[in-house]
Order: sequence, then structure tokens, then C-alpha cells
Amino acid sequence: MSRSPYALDSTPSRRRFLAWSAGAVATGAIGVAGCSAPGGASTAEAAGTPSAKAGDLRQIGLDYPFTQLPLYATLVKLSTAAAKKHGVSLLTTSDASSADTQATNLTTWVTRKIPAIVSFPMVFEATEATAKRALDAGLIWVTYGGSLEHQSADIQFSFLEGGRLLGEAAAKWAEETLGGKGKIAFLTDSTIQLGRERTKGMVDAFTKAAPGVDVVAQEQAIDPDTGLSKTKAILAKHPDLNLVLGVTDAAAYGGFKALQQTGRKATDAKTFVGGQDGAAPSLLAIQQGTFYRASAALAPQDIANAIVDVPLAVAAGKANPGVQVPITLVGPTDTARIDALLAQNS
Amino acid sequence: MTTLTAARAMSYGRLTAVRRHPLLAVLAVLVLVFQVTTGSFLDAGNLRGIATDAATLAIVAVPLALLVISGYLDLSVGSTLALGGLVAGWLAGEQHQSPVVAVLGALAVGAAVGAVNGVLCCYLGLSAFIVTLGMLTAVRGLAQQVFPLPLSGFGAGFAWLGGSRIAGVDAPVVIAALVLVAGASFLAFTPAGRHVFAIGVNREAAHLSGIAVRRAPFALFVVTGVAAALAGAIKASVLDSAVAGTSGAGFELTVLTAVLLGGVALSGGSGSVFGVLLGVLFLGSLQNGLTLLNVPAFWQQMAQGVALVAGAALAFLGPRTTR
Repeated sequence: MSRSPYALDSTPSRRRFLAWSAGAVATGAIGVAGCSAPGGASTAEAAGTPSAKAGDLRQIGLDYPFTQLPLYATLVKLSTAAAKKHGVSLLTTSDASSADTQATNLTTWVTRKIPAIVSFPMVFEATEATAKRALDAGLIWVTYGGSLEHQSADIQFSFLEGGRLLGEAAAKWAEETLGGKGKIAFLTDSTIQLGRERTKGMVDAFTKAAPGVDVVAQEQAIDPDTGLSKTKAILAKHPDLNLVLGVTDAAAYGGFKALQQTGRKATDAKTFVGGQDGAAPSLLAIQQGTFYRASAALAPQDIANAIVDVPLAVAAGKANPGVQVPITLVGPTDTARIDALLAQNS
Repeated sequence: MTTLTAARAMSYGRLTAVRRHPLLAVLAVLVLVFQVTTGSFLDAGNLRGIATDAATLAIVAVPLALLVISGYLDLSVGSTLALGGLVAGWLAGEQHQSPVVAVLGALAVGAAVGAVNGVLCCYLGLSAFIVTLGMLTAVRGLAQQVFPLPLSGFGAGFAWLGGSRIAGVDAPVVIAALVLVAGASFLAFTPAGRHVFAIGVNREAAHLSGIAVRRAPFALFVVTGVAAALAGAIKASVLDSAVAGTSGAGFELTVLTAVLLGGVALSGGSGSVFGVLLGVLFLGSLQNGLTLLNVPAFWQQMAQGVALVAGAALAFLGPRTTR
């Protein structure tokens, strides 16, 4: 009678595997720690770092929670380069879009006295206490994407303004090309503050400037896949849809593909798609003269510079060290701007 | 008399089908309600949209269902889908490889992920839930590390995979149909298919009966990985872009929902490919119909959650399919 493979046979091999795995992980961890030590970018090294004073800031912690977004990788790359020019090392968190993880990571940084923290709070109210603890500990706290009561400075973006720029541009196009008539679908986001502000700016500006255009749908979509399927469904009911505006370029790009897949020519004169972010696929579509006609874009290099310059300005004791990063609308005629943005995203 | 008997037999057959798959009746009611309320649900264009959206779901749901029937689980399919799409897009776009090479590259990556899952779960006896949950995160991290920026512009040749038509039917739908037929045939007509049920019902007894209880689930892990990567390549082709952080995010739960709605028991040993097809169509129809009705996002989420609970109840109340 043969033995069951689930009783005895697998046990020794499983134990061996687990032992090997533990050994490999431990060896790897030691290796990684050893490799990262000279660069000074490990959190462990930050322990015991004195509070920041003017001129001696050597570490900045960037806490950008949306690690799944392409912008995260671009920002880390550009910020690290910008920091290096000032002899500063950049630390990063891995929050994976979780407010709880973000809170834990920020608490760790405050406990370890990372001298300057630049944080994009997922929930601003929930981050207030952590920011206060950071300031009480003599650390620099820079709020990214908004303001807190307790902070050293902030890096502001007007997400509302980005939405407004896109909404107004689309409305102007509708007035000029469609005589103020037509149908529009909005791909929106109501899950986070940033999304709600962008959505409000976009919808309010458009409906105010082009009241004759029929709003046939407002659907939650921030990624291309959802943008594609939602727009396809909307097109089934409204095949004469003229405009799709997205809260993100990714969602709008899905709408762009849906329109093409239902037979719309990429250069159709009576169609307008626009989004927000300045994402590379959308910028390329604009550059190619398609009906993807606009993107409210932030320049990653401007943000990266602010991530480094603002904490340094605080440490240097400069008055009003905060900055407002500009959002600009990019269209088919802005070729130099598109090239610059694509280069930053490459 | 003969006609009457035939009619009765057909009627009995329909009743039996509904009793075996209660979701069939729910789907019929759902379609009716959406058609009456929207007036455009059954339009050819909309049905085509539902079919193409559901195709990638079906391609992954069929092998995953077989895996669940055999008593295992794969939660890493969302990340495998992303990695497969990125590899295919990278090969087709940046490396200028032929679409065939691009797809084969994606399939190889999917097979590798599936093989790792299979070895850890089937041969080393680790928990499939823990292993594949870990792989979900690890593969996503790998994809983001290797492809931190979005890929796009994969060329006209690669667009064929997601955008062409075969005999008037969209290519992804044809591929999904082939997968469904292959899955159903495997379960119904091959000894290995029957072994999958036996392993899921009682692994110990199956082993004592001479069934290779590790090889079949290992192969299913590999096939599930390959299917997820294929679905990723199709999505990349349809969108002409792929993003490491967001492609396929949450897909594992959607596909598992379809499988469970289709009557496949999470404990293994029971389920059918027809049921999985119903689960896929139900989810596709629900999302499409709610969009047509312009239902707010949070209500849509609630409706999908309620659908899962209802599906679980139906599966509990309905008879079990062990062939």
C-alpha cells in the first residue's frame, strides 16, 4: 500500500524548502543592507539623525502613496536626481495606496527622526496628528498636494484648476465645432479627494461653458480598462457621442480606444477626448493629431524640483518656502511642451 | 403524439438545466430587466461589447475553475495578466518582434509564474491561498520594477490579437470560445478531467486509487498562468497600452467571483464549465447594464457584492455538478 503524498512524503522536502528559503531571505537581506549602507538611503541609517537645521539637511523622505501610478516611478527617479545635486539622499515609502500603511510608514519615519518628510496624505485629516508629532520632534514636514494645520510648508497643485482647464477647452471646442450641441460622457472619480476635485472642476467648467451639450453619462473610471468598457457601454446607448473627458489620462485613453473600436476614425473632426495627468500614451495620441485633443498636464520635473527645493528652503529658514506647481493644458499645437513632457516621462 | 413527447422532453430538459444552473434563470431575468429599462441592452453593438469585455474573463475563468475543482486556488492571476501584457507589449513595441513572438513571450512568462505556484503548492504542499497571495504581490512588484513606465504603441500587427474579426466575430471572443470548448471537453471526455473532480473531492482517496494527485493540479496551475498572460496580451492589444501598476488590478477577485457564481465549490470537487460561462456572462451583463442605467459608482459596487452573495446562496441551494 502506497503512502499518501500529503502525509509523510512532502514533509521533509517542505521543511528543507522552508529552511533554504529562510536562509536565502536572510542572506539576501544582509546583502541588500550591506549594499545600501554606503549610499545612506536606508531607513535604518536615518536612526539617530539630528533634527534638521539650515544647511545640514542630508535626507528627505518622500511619501507618495500611489505607487501603482506611473508618475510614482518618474517622480522617484527625478527627485532622486534633483536631491543628489544638493548632496541629499531621498528615502521613499511603499504605501501601495493604503491610508493605513501610509500612517504606519509615516509614524516610523517620525520615530526614526527622518529630518524632512514630504508627504502626500491620502486622508488629510488623518495625517494631521502625525504632522504635529513630526514638528514637535523638530522635523520638517512638507505637505504635498494640499495643506495641513501643522506643517512647515506645502507643495500645492490645483486639481480643481486642472479639471477646469480641461472642461473649458472641451466646451470651447464644442461651441466652435458642434455649434454648442452634442453629447458628452465624463469618466470621473469620487473615491479620493484629488479625484473629486478634478471631477468637480471638469464637470462644472464644461456644463457652465457649454450648457447645450447633453451630459449622457458620468461613470467612475480611472484606468484604461474601465474607461474602455464603460465608454463601450455608453456608446451602445449613444453611438453619436461626441466628447469623452477623463479624470485621468488613463481612463480617457480607454475611452479613446473604445471610440476607435466602434468605428470612429482616429482623426474624426467631430470627436473630442481629453484627460488629466500628461501621461505618455495620451501625449503621443495628441502629438499624432488624433481626436485625443487635450491633457491637463503637470510637469514631473517641476514636482521633483519642488520635492527637494521646498524642504531645503525650510531648512535654510527662507520665508514662504511653499510652491504652487503649475498645471497647463497641452494640445496638438504645443509640440515643444509635449516633447519636453515625453522626455521627462521616458 | 411524437411532437407532444418531444416538446415535453425539451421542456423537461430546460427545467433540468435551470435546476442544475439556477444562475441561468437569474441571468435571463437580468437581461429582461435591463432590456426593458434601457431599451438598448440587446442591441447587437452592446452584445458585442459585453462579449469582448467578458472574453478575457472567460479565458482565465475556465482554467481557474478547473483548478478550484481540483481543490486549489490561484489569486495571482491579476498580476500575471499585467506581466503578460507588459511582456507582450514590450516585445511587440520596443523590441519590434512579430506578434507571434510577443504572444509566445507572454505565454512563457505566464507558464513560469504558474509553474512556481504549482511547485510550491502541489509538490511542496504549501497553502495555495498563501502562496498565490504572495505571488500576487511579488509578480506585481516585479512588473513595476521592470516596467515602471507605461508602454504604448505596439504596432498594427499586434493590434490584430484584440481588434481583428474571425468570421465576423471578434478575435478575443473566438479565443474565449475555444477555451470554453476545450475546458468542457477536458472535463467531460478525458480521464484526466474526471481525475480533477476526484482529486477535489478527496485527495487521499484519489491517490490511493492510483491517480497522480500532484501532476494534474500542477498542470492546471501552469495553464492558469498561461491563460492569465494570454488575457494580458489581449488586453494590451485592445488598449494598445499597458501599465504595470494598474493593469489587471483586482482582476483576481473578479475572475474568482465569476467562477464561484458559476457554481464551482471553493472546497473543490464540484463545478462545470457551463456554469462558469454563466458566471462570466452574469458579471459582464451586470456591469454593462448598470452603466447603461447610469447607476452611481458606489451602488454598482454594492450590486456586484450582493450578486456574489446571491450566487453563493444559489450554489449552496442548487445541486452539485461532479461531472
